[in-house]
Amino acid sequence: MRRRHGSKNKKDSIFPITIDELEKTLSSKFENNPDLKFSKYDQQGQKIAVFFIDYQVSSDKLQQALLVPLLGMKKEWTNDSILNEIPINSGTKISSFEDILKKLVIGEVFIYAEGEEEAISYLLLHKESRSLEKAETESLVLGPKISFTESLATNLNIVRWRIKSTDLVLEEFKIGKTMPHDIRLVYMKSIANEEDVNTVRQRLQELDVDEIEDSVVLKQYLEDSQTNLFPQFDHTELPDRFTYAVKKGKIGILVENSPSGFIAPATLYSFLETTEDLYMRWQAGTFLRILRFIAVIFSILVTPMYIAAATYQYTIIPTQILLTIGQSRAAVPFPPIIEALILEFLLELLREAGARLPTKVGQTMGIVGGIVVGTAAVEAGITSNILIIVVAMSALSSFTIPSYLFGTTIRLIRFPMMILAGFLGFLGIIFGICWLIIHLLRLTSLGRPYLVPLYPLKLHDFNKVFFRTPFNYTYNRAQSYRPKDLIRFSKKDATKKRDIDE
Amino acid sequence: MDINVNVKSNVQIKAFYLFYVIVGTQIGVGIMGAPRFIFTEARQDSWVSILIAFVFMSIVVLVMITILKQYENADIFGIQTDVFGKWIGTILGTLYVLYLASSLLSILLTYSQVVKIFLYHTFPNFTLGAMLLFLTIYAVFGGIRVVVGVTFIFFFLTFWLILLFYDPITRMEWTNLLPMFQATVPELLKGARATTYTLAGFEILFLIYPFIQNKEKIKLPALLGLAFTTFILMVTTVISIGYFSHKGLEHVDWSVLILFKSVSLTFFERLDYIVIVEWVMVILPNIVVLMWAITYGVKRLYKVPQRISVYVFSVIFLVIVSFMEYEHHISIITDYVSQVSFWIIFVYPLILFPLVIIKKKWRKNKGSAAK
Repeated sequence: MRRRHGSKNKKDSIFPITIDELEKTLSSKFENNPDLKFSKYDQQGQKIAVFFIDYQVSSDKLQQALLVPLLGMKKEWTNDSILNEIPINSGTKISSFEDILKKLVIGEVFIYAEGEEEAISYLLLHKESRSLEKAETESLVLGPKISFTESLATNLNIVRWRIKSTDLVLEEFKIGKTMPHDIRLVYMKSIANEEDVNTVRQRLQELDVDEIEDSVVLKQYLEDSQTNLFPQFDHTELPDRFTYAVKKGKIGILVENSPSGFIAPATLYSFLETTEDLYMRWQAGTFLRILRFIAVIFSILVTPMYIAAATYQYTIIPTQILLTIGQSRAAVPFPPIIEALILEFLLELLREAGARLPTKVGQTMGIVGGIVVGTAAVEAGITSNILIIVVAMSALSSFTIPSYLFGTTIRLIRFPMMILAGFLGFLGIIFGICWLIIHLLRLTSLGRPYLVPLYPLKLHDFNKVFFRTPFNYTYNRAQSYRPKDLIRFSKKDATKKRDIDE
Repeated sequence: MDINVNVKSNVQIKAFYLFYVIVGTQIGVGIMGAPRFIFTEARQDSWVSILIAFVFMSIVVLVMITILKQYENADIFGIQTDVFGKWIGTILGTLYVLYLASSLLSILLTYSQVVKIFLYHTFPNFTLGAMLLFLTIYAVFGGIRVVVGVTFIFFFLTFWLILLFYDPITRMEWTNLLPMFQATVPELLKGARATTYTLAGFEILFLIYPFIQNKEKIKLPALLGLAFTTFILMVTTVISIGYFSHKGLEHVDWSVLILFKSVSLTFFERLDYIVIVEWVMVILPNIVVLMWAITYGVKRLYKVPQRISVYVFSVIFLVIVSFMEYEHHISIITDYVSQVSFWIIFVYPLILFPLVIIKKKWRKNKGSAAK
């Protein structure tokens, strides 16, 4: 970047120029834009111009650190004396007109003393950002509550405070040709796999887009394959989750103006982990993690199984339940597939409406939808009450998934599964499951298998993924991500057994 | 055609997975009806026949490994070209591929037959074939890594079926296995031969060998795979003999599936439906591995890209499967496949072995003479 600018310097330099002409040129670029402040000062016969965009610079700093010394000292200014005597650091000389425009936009203040070869710019950035708040989409019971904000500087500050090490690298990239965004690649120099870092770096450098909206969009640009269902990088707004992954040798990416970062590479199971599993005792952590695995399977399968059993293989249902189902379905005029699709559709409507409405109204809506519409639907004979239980359980299971993106994928998968079950019964469900498994086997994240450590099998990593063991048994980092440095602490010391009364 | 295959390191697999590949390719539709065929030959001593089959099979596999070890990184197609020359080698290779294709076809047909008998009586072969082949194409396109992954994951997803035997075991009549050792040696051997169709599948070693990373370790997983399959076949046969009367077992077509009919749990009244649909997961590794082997063979022999041949073979299979509706046609094909497979996978390696050794000796002599 820098080299390219250097070569341009000579070409589009507009200096030296008179102050009036400079004003004219600049205001022609900012037509109909009243925001450019261009002030001219006469200092001992020398004309000096100070120009900036009003709301992009902090006016206090400008007044005190720049204007007061500039106008207070009665002397003739040259570029060198300005750089020397104005008490702000980061002053640079700039001659290219293009660069001046670019830097004006991001909040730099320019001083031009008439007759000089270059203008001088100071970064007096003023950026509005909200203060740190509690995480909204990924909430935790235990552990740190803050979430990332839209300001990259704040996010970097949080990350730096969480990983106080010189090993931490925050590599800078600019993505977007016409409207560039600052991107930071976050990884641990001594742990992260070199190959993975290079892959991400290469993908970032090769990315050829005009602009990106948010980190979620950048994530989709960088993923291995965009045609499939599952998210391939883990997306989070929690700094502790982010830094936990970085400390284990993964690579994090933060994007300017985005209140979330993402982590690569990811596996299927990383979407079902929370940092809370670590904060719990290991038995509880294991329990919760397994609960979530079961919830995912349950959420995908329970409604299709109801449809298949009620439509074709009803002999698998035990007699007593079969009687109940029969009674409750007696008033329903539709086949089970239609009945289930209606109810699932209703539930998705409720969820979507709840997400769009303001929080206060949203809660009321949930109650109205859940209780009133549900009861009314049963009484009107549109659905059976057994199905309401089934659908509610499946929805509830899908909400236990910590990652919102992954949860959406799971909810989406249910619909083709239901249709398969409606057409082919249990045979259809098995086909759906087989397809899903083959699909997952084919997926990669950053070129690494998506199902690792299950396939390829890495038994040593099971206690970091499927369940948790006491911390003295997690002396290694996960092999699955091939970290440079596998060992966290000495196995011998951690597992040493003392004899009785020693 | 090159005799040795150049395999990139990122598509190589560990020898450990050979266990799953062999088990996944061996256990398939055959086992559903196998006890009856073994029983008609060797009666209550069928388990001895199965043990004989296991010993013979282990010898064949060890011979196969020895043949493969004579070369750097070759498969059956390369070895045949080396031993018999280009023309005969290609013809033999084509026959090998045709054998694999016919065994894939027999799997599809047999399973569609089972679905018709136990699940949906008018279920069109076309639909079932199309769905299975769709899954196969999707898996084969993922390459060897996904093919092996399918055998690995589906092994664990179907393993629980064996737990359901708790019910037939409690109901079986152990005295049906007595008196022991009544069968004559020819009867036992005939019984052993009846296992061919069920135990076929380890010939995949001839094709997958170049893709294995740590070749020095292949003996253990390969033999363990054979032992596991034998164990499963033994368990099902012994339970079938005890569960059915002697006269009954001779007339029961799919004895293993019927074993599951009496299993009942408090939340699942009948598990046999689940077992029959679950069998898709048993046969899928079969079909996927065979389809990969067929297309890989065609690529080796005729340099046709696998991307094209997968589609071509799938369409051919689908057309044949759609028109083969009648049971007697299907049993003709299955019988033919089991006849041929005995010669191709059990006998052929034993014939090939001396030829490979002679060729190697001859080449060595020639090499030293040239010097």
